[in-house]
Amino acid sequence: MIERFNSQRWLLIGAGLLVWALVPQFGERHVVELLVFTGIYTIAGLGLGLLLGQGGVVSLAQATFCGLGAYSSAYATVMLQWPSVSGFALGVVISGTLAALVGWPILRLTGYFLALATLALSVIFTSLFFELDWLTGGELGIGGIPKLQIGEFSLNTPARMYVLVWLVAFGCMLLSYNIKQSRAGLMLNAVRDAEEAASSLGIKPLALRVRLFVVSAVFGSLAGSLFAHHVNFVSVHSFGIERSIVFLLIPVLGGSRSIIGVIAGALFVTFLPDLLSGIGDFHQVLFGLVMIAIVVLAPAGIVGLAQTLSMRRSSGV
Amino acid sequence: MYLITQASLAGITNGMVYALIGMGLAAIFKGSRVVNAMQGEFSVVAAILAAIAMAGMGAPYWLAAMAGIAAAVLIGVFIELVFIRYMIRKGASPESFLLLTVGIALTISAALLFFAGRSPFLLPPLGGEDVFLIMDAVLSLHALWLISLAILITFLLRLFFRKTVLGLRMMAASIDAEGAITTGINVALMRTYTFALGGLLGGVAGILITPLVPVNYHVGLALTLKGFAAAILGGLTNPLGAAIGGLTLGLIEALTVVAIPSAYKDVITFTLLIFIMILMPDGMLGRRSRKGG
Repeated sequence: MIERFNSQRWLLIGAGLLVWALVPQFGERHVVELLVFTGIYTIAGLGLGLLLGQGGVVSLAQATFCGLGAYSSAYATVMLQWPSVSGFALGVVISGTLAALVGWPILRLTGYFLALATLALSVIFTSLFFELDWLTGGELGIGGIPKLQIGEFSLNTPARMYVLVWLVAFGCMLLSYNIKQSRAGLMLNAVRDAEEAASSLGIKPLALRVRLFVVSAVFGSLAGSLFAHHVNFVSVHSFGIERSIVFLLIPVLGGSRSIIGVIAGALFVTFLPDLLSGIGDFHQVLFGLVMIAIVVLAPAGIVGLAQTLSMRRSSGV
Repeated sequence: MYLITQASLAGITNGMVYALIGMGLAAIFKGSRVVNAMQGEFSVVAAILAAIAMAGMGAPYWLAAMAGIAAAVLIGVFIELVFIRYMIRKGASPESFLLLTVGIALTISAALLFFAGRSPFLLPPLGGEDVFLIMDAVLSLHALWLISLAILITFLLRLFFRKTVLGLRMMAASIDAEGAITTGINVALMRTYTFALGGLLGGVAGILITPLVPVNYHVGLALTLKGFAAAILGGLTNPLGAAIGGLTLGLIEALTVVAIPSAYKDVITFTLLIFIMILMPDGMLGRRSRKGG
């Protein structure tokens, strides 16, 4: 039974990779462009999925970490004329440090209060992004961020960027998977399911949550740097509270405990608005209604819903 | 000195606005343990409907205001009957209630953009355009009305939850649902009333705010955030606490603006909020008001 499940899973992953490799060959430019954003959203969403699924933490601050990554890349490449790798590194260091410093006090909070504290963090940084205009360009933002280059090879088409973004996304998925399987991941499961019992066994919930928060922030920062190099422009409007809510929707709609769920969620938040925008201004209302429907009817997310349906079908046979 | 008086008056007025939103949040949390991320939307709906009824259909002020408030109450009842009740029966997690209200907030804001457009709405001030001079500082008559009504509402709410049978039932239903059922309280109905009360408070807040703050489709989230901060400062389940929290928040904001560029207002307010949540987990009034009633 377990054997069969594993081979099925490998088959699925293989088929997924094949589709992934073929999309830029046959897909329209517009679809590939959207898929680049799906990849970026997947990276940011994976961090939140880890926090929510493993740590039970609702974070509304992912847009902040994403913004830190994007502004680091923008500042390093445009203002300082440094190579792009330094922008990524700078973003990761700043985001990780901030997450550790802020996480230590606020991850003591639980439930709604923790969610509100992360929301407060998001509001604070939105104001700072706006006000520190010598650093961020303020309302105008920073333009002219160069396309990424590997040696002489420029990633100047959506198809090329698609490959890079998704390779980073796969790397993050692998890392998430390993974290879940690791000793720390198992301890986190114990904390999530029975915090008091876990601490009686010498597990330190706060330290584990802080580490998870740092990993999540680093993912957010990578997503932000990729975003900056892809659209070549960053401004305050890309990293507000609304964006944090969209990021949070990714693991929630997809299913926070599964990596495939995060991809499903990222596809949802990038493709659905695009599909709905064909019917005019009413699409935002529909997007909200679909979100409500998923939260109410499929609390385990799209993947959870699919599992329930397939279980029903197989038990019916 | 003049600056400080003027800033304090502005702070008290803003603080009462936050208090009104915060009291609605606290009332809903008290009665249902749901943090309502669309509390600001109640106010926006009431304000925009009232403004449209007055300007577009020529309804008198009192009728337009009543219609706006009634709409907010109905939305509250609708949310409880259609979503919350079903989700409680399904045993939904606390986060999913938060996400539900976030989704409703997004939907309402998008619907307002679609039906009412981007332009801001204003309602006429209560008592006309008159202003008072207090130690050379200006306070509009409307602001005075807002402050007095907010104080009155705070005490009425306190009386309601402490002295009336209905208020006590609502509290009992949320503190110990099983115990409440055994004494014959209809817990689900009490929760519906809770959301109606939240809608009522939100609607009234919207009508009172709109002469001071132009309201359009996207101010709901900002109002909710400030209301949240006010309610949390006060310990979240206590309407009086939310009022004091709102007042504190408004005064801090206004007085920091005297010393520091006003753009950093939110940075200071929300940094303070994080500190207060960590250092005073039960709000400024202390007592374990978050857990109990």
